Amino acid sequence: MAEMWISMGPQHPMTHGLWTLKVKVDGETIVDADPELGYLHRSVEKMGERRKYFMNTTLTDRLCYASSTTWTHCYTHTVEELMEVEVPVRAQYIRTIMLELQRLASHLMWAGAYMPDLGHITGALYFWRDRELFLNLLELPSGSRLLYNFIRIGGVKRDLPNGFEEKTERILKLFEQRLDEYSDLFENSKIFRMRTDDVGKFTAEQAKNFGITGPNLRGCGTKFDLRKHDTYEIYEEIDWDISTREAGPGYSDCFSRYMVRIDEMKESVRIIRDCFKKMPAGATLASRIPVRAHGEAFRRTEDSRGEAMMYVVGDGSDRPYRWKIKSPMFTTMSACPHYLKGYKLADIPAIMGSIDICIGETDK
Amino acid sequence: MNIDEFMQQLSSSKGVSNISKIRKNTVKLDLTKEESLDFFVSIKSEFEHCSLISAIDNQPDFELVYHFSCMNQSIVVDDSNCAVMLEAHIYLKREAPSVDSIANIWFGADWHEREAFDLMGIYFIGHPDLRRVLLPEGFAGHPLRKDYVYEIHEEEW
Repeated sequence: MAEMWISMGPQHPMTHGLWTLKVKVDGETIVDADPELGYLHRSVEKMGERRKYFMNTTLTDRLCYASSTTWTHCYTHTVEELMEVEVPVRAQYIRTIMLELQRLASHLMWAGAYMPDLGHITGALYFWRDRELFLNLLELPSGSRLLYNFIRIGGVKRDLPNGFEEKTERILKLFEQRLDEYSDLFENSKIFRMRTDDVGKFTAEQAKNFGITGPNLRGCGTKFDLRKHDTYEIYEEIDWDISTREAGPGYSDCFSRYMVRIDEMKESVRIIRDCFKKMPAGATLASRIPVRAHGEAFRRTEDSRGEAMMYVVGDGSDRPYRWKIKSPMFTTMSACPHYLKGYKLADIPAIMGSIDICIGETDK
Repeated sequence: MNIDEFMQQLSSSKGVSNISKIRKNTVKLDLTKEESLDFFVSIKSEFEHCSLISAIDNQPDFELVYHFSCMNQSIVVDDSNCAVMLEAHIYLKREAPSVDSIANIWFGADWHEREAFDLMGIYFIGHPDLRRVLLPEGFAGHPLRKDYVYEIHEEEW
C-alpha cells in the first residue's frame, strides 16, 4: 500500500492544546512524523522585554495553565539570582508547599486527560474530581483557581491563611486513600495495561540526547531530579526520595511513565507534610527588592514536566534586555518522530498523552 | 573529575578563553566561532544533555549562549551530587550571523537552533532542517531582533 501523510490536529482531541502532528503511514504503521507548532505563539519573550521585572509574573503564570506556579517560580528565582535578593526562610517553605500542591494538581490534570485518550472516560472524572481538591487548596492563599500570581520577586504575596495546615492534611489523607483505589482501577486493569505496556519505548540514552527530562526521563530508570541535583529553595532539608520506574533495563514505555507520576504524587504528599513540620515563623517578603538589574543569570527548576529554565539578561534598566524561556516540552515534542516510528496509528494518543504535553509553555 | 580539574583541562582547549566559575556548579567560557564545533564534540561524553541555546541581539553584534548539563556525574562539585553545567558564549558579527550546527551531536539542540533562526535570524550551517518553528512560513523578518519594526495595524471603524 502506498504511504501517505495524515494531519492530526490542530483540532484533534489527541493534541491537548493547539498543534498539528503530521504522520506518514504505511497502512496503519507510522513511518515518519512531523510535529508543527506555533498556533499558540504569543511572543512572551518579546512582551517581557517591554514590561518591568515585577510585571512579568503575570505573563509567566499564563505559560502553562496546568502548572502556572512552577513557571512563575522559575522566573522569580532567576530574577532573584540576577538582583541578588535574599528570600526569607518562611517564604521558601510556603513556595515549596505551593509548588508541590501545583505538581499534584498538574499530574492529576495529566492523568485525567490521559484516560480519555485511552477511551477511559470514567478515569477523567475520578482524577479531575481530585484535582478540584488541590485547586481549592491553592485558592485559599492566592485567591484564584488557575493563575495564582502568588509567588513574587523576593517572596510570596501573603502568608498562609489560618487553618491551612489542617485543611491540607484532611485532603492529603483522603487523596492517599483514593490513590490506593486507583491502583486497583488502572494498574491492575488488563485493558489499561494492554494499551500502555511496551508502547512508545525509548531508552535513557536516547532520552538524554533528545533533551527529554523530568518524569519522562525518570520513567527510564534514570535517577535525575533537579530538586536534588541542582537544589533550590529548601528541598535539601526535606526528607524525600526521587521516584524512578523502568519498563525494562534502561528504557521506558507508556506504563512506566504513568507509574512514575503516580509515585511522584506520593512523594509530593511527603514533601508537603514535612514542610508543615519544619516551617519556621517569620517574614514572607524580602525587605529590599531592587527595581533595576544588571548582568545575566540563569536558573533551572524541576517543573511538573521536566527541566524548566530561564535565562535573563539585564542592562541596568528596570526591564529585562533579553529573557529566554526553556520549556521541557519543546524538546520532548521535537523528538516525537523517533518514538512514534513503528507503532500503529491508534497508539498515537497513548504515546503523545503519556509524555504530558502542554502547548502554552511550548509555543511561548 | 572535580569541577576545578575540569576547568584546568578546558584551558588547554583550542578557541576557549575567559574560563570562570559563575556558580558553584557552573563553568562559563567564551568560544570562537571557528573552533566551536570541535570543542562541542570534545565535551559530548561529559555533557550529554543540551539544555538551551539562547540568541541575544547585543546591537550591533549577536551573542549565542549554550547551556549544557552533565547528568552522569562524570564531573562533580566536591562531594555533593550537584549536576554541573557549562555555559558557552559565542559572539557573531551582524553581517554574517552564522555558526556550525550542533543538531547532529545533540538531537535536543535541533529545535533550539530552529527557534534561534526563526526569532533572531541566526543561520546554523549543517542543520538538517532549518526552517521556522513558531512563526508561520512566509513571515518576514526576525521579531526578537532589537531593530525589528512592528507593523502597526490601525483599526478602521
